[in-house]
Amino acid sequence: MAREISVSLDGVEASFTFKSIDRASLYGKRRRVPIDENGNPCTRATLTNDGALLLRSGMTGQGYFLADGTYLKQSDLEAFSSDGSPLQKVPSSLGTTQPLESIVSPQEVLDLRLSNVYFLTAVADVGELSRRLNSGEIFRLTFNFRDSFQPESAFLLANDAGVFLLVGSPVESDWCSLDSLIDLPTLDEIDDEDLDFEF
Amino acid sequence: MSNLRRLHISNAGSRNAIVVGVGLTPPPSPNVGKNGEVAIFRRFITATNGEESEDFLKNPDLNFSEELISRDPEVDIELVGRFIEDAQSVLLSANGSPIFAAPSIVEISYDSAGDEVERHAPSDTLPTVNDSVPLRWTGKKMPIGEVVRRFAFRRSMQLRHVDGVTYDFLYAMAKELADEKMMLLLGAGETGKEPIVLQLNGSPYRGFLEGRIDGVRYKLLLHLSNMELRAPQNVKAGGDE
Repeated sequence: MAREISVSLDGVEASFTFKSIDRASLYGKRRRVPIDENGNPCTRATLTNDGALLLRSGMTGQGYFLADGTYLKQSDLEAFSSDGSPLQKVPSSLGTTQPLESIVSPQEVLDLRLSNVYFLTAVADVGELSRRLNSGEIFRLTFNFRDSFQPESAFLLANDAGVFLLVGSPVESDWCSLDSLIDLPTLDEIDDEDLDFEF
Repeated sequence: MSNLRRLHISNAGSRNAIVVGVGLTPPPSPNVGKNGEVAIFRRFITATNGEESEDFLKNPDLNFSEELISRDPEVDIELVGRFIEDAQSVLLSANGSPIFAAPSIVEISYDSAGDEVERHAPSDTLPTVNDSVPLRWTGKKMPIGEVVRRFAFRRSMQLRHVDGVTYDFLYAMAKELADEKMMLLLGAGETGKEPIVLQLNGSPYRGFLEGRIDGVRYKLLLHLSNMELRAPQNVKAGGDE
């Protein structure tokens, strides 16, 4: 059974199936591939800096380790905020109904660093929600694709093409006053004195 | 700050200035660990003789359980489990042999369905952000509510002044846009119609300026989009995740 995103507005629930979209799925993509002398794609491997080991795909693993080398399973991991206080794991939003909150300003969407965009298809008639989306209203909700210590923010909106869910993390910017100057980064410069003509 | 860059920009009156673009990023992910001790993410070796590689496991004739019983392989206890600290990525030929000369590069184009369309020699995408040609005030404005419902913005930068003159320059831009509740399309290149490409072979973006005012303070934000919000082809009724 396809997983669904369920939301509620004023006590009325609505469910959507979803498809992740990105630039490649809309416009295609280009990829640069190194090829060997026979015209076949090269493969990537890892060479340790001492030159002793050449590690091909399937020969390495990764995970979280304590300082004494103890391996931690994903299920045993705990998370801490910057002040050291523990964080609670937030379960996935899929399968649970998330309440919608109408946003005051569309600028709230612009303060989101997008991580995923989903195209939504309503499972059944969503009634009043559809009318409000089509009028240009944007809704905020919490969305977690999988269990996470850092739930993301999401916005539900619509245009002529359909209904979309934008998921990401909020970013902050600074108010600038006259005295909040910043130094202009310098361009890389070539120092003529470093040019060596003693070939 | 390492997320600073020079931005050459012009206003509606074709006056131009070089200001600073500050990349906006979300807060870092929380630390993970156990019982108050922070854990570190590390890579380690799981096999050494290559027989546990993907090629081996994908062999259609492989009966893995029989192989384990008959060959009774042993791990190299000196190496398996060893952390990989300093290493670099290298290329091998298709048959797994090391290559000692720089390989040829081919650029493969794929359509939106992921099917290969063509192969050709790679062509570089040159940056369109430089000190020579400013990003141009195109005059094309759209209401903020319409913009956020039409485009997906993957990254944003805040434009900041470096002196009093550029403060007035940027403040005026921000105030005009904030008063009108509009966003402005910024164009790159001599004609002002090219997308914004921040570095060599970087992703091309459409840039929209947004202004916010709080008395004598301002925010002038450049939001970069590389895709419209539109329906994908062949969308199916079921979820695909």
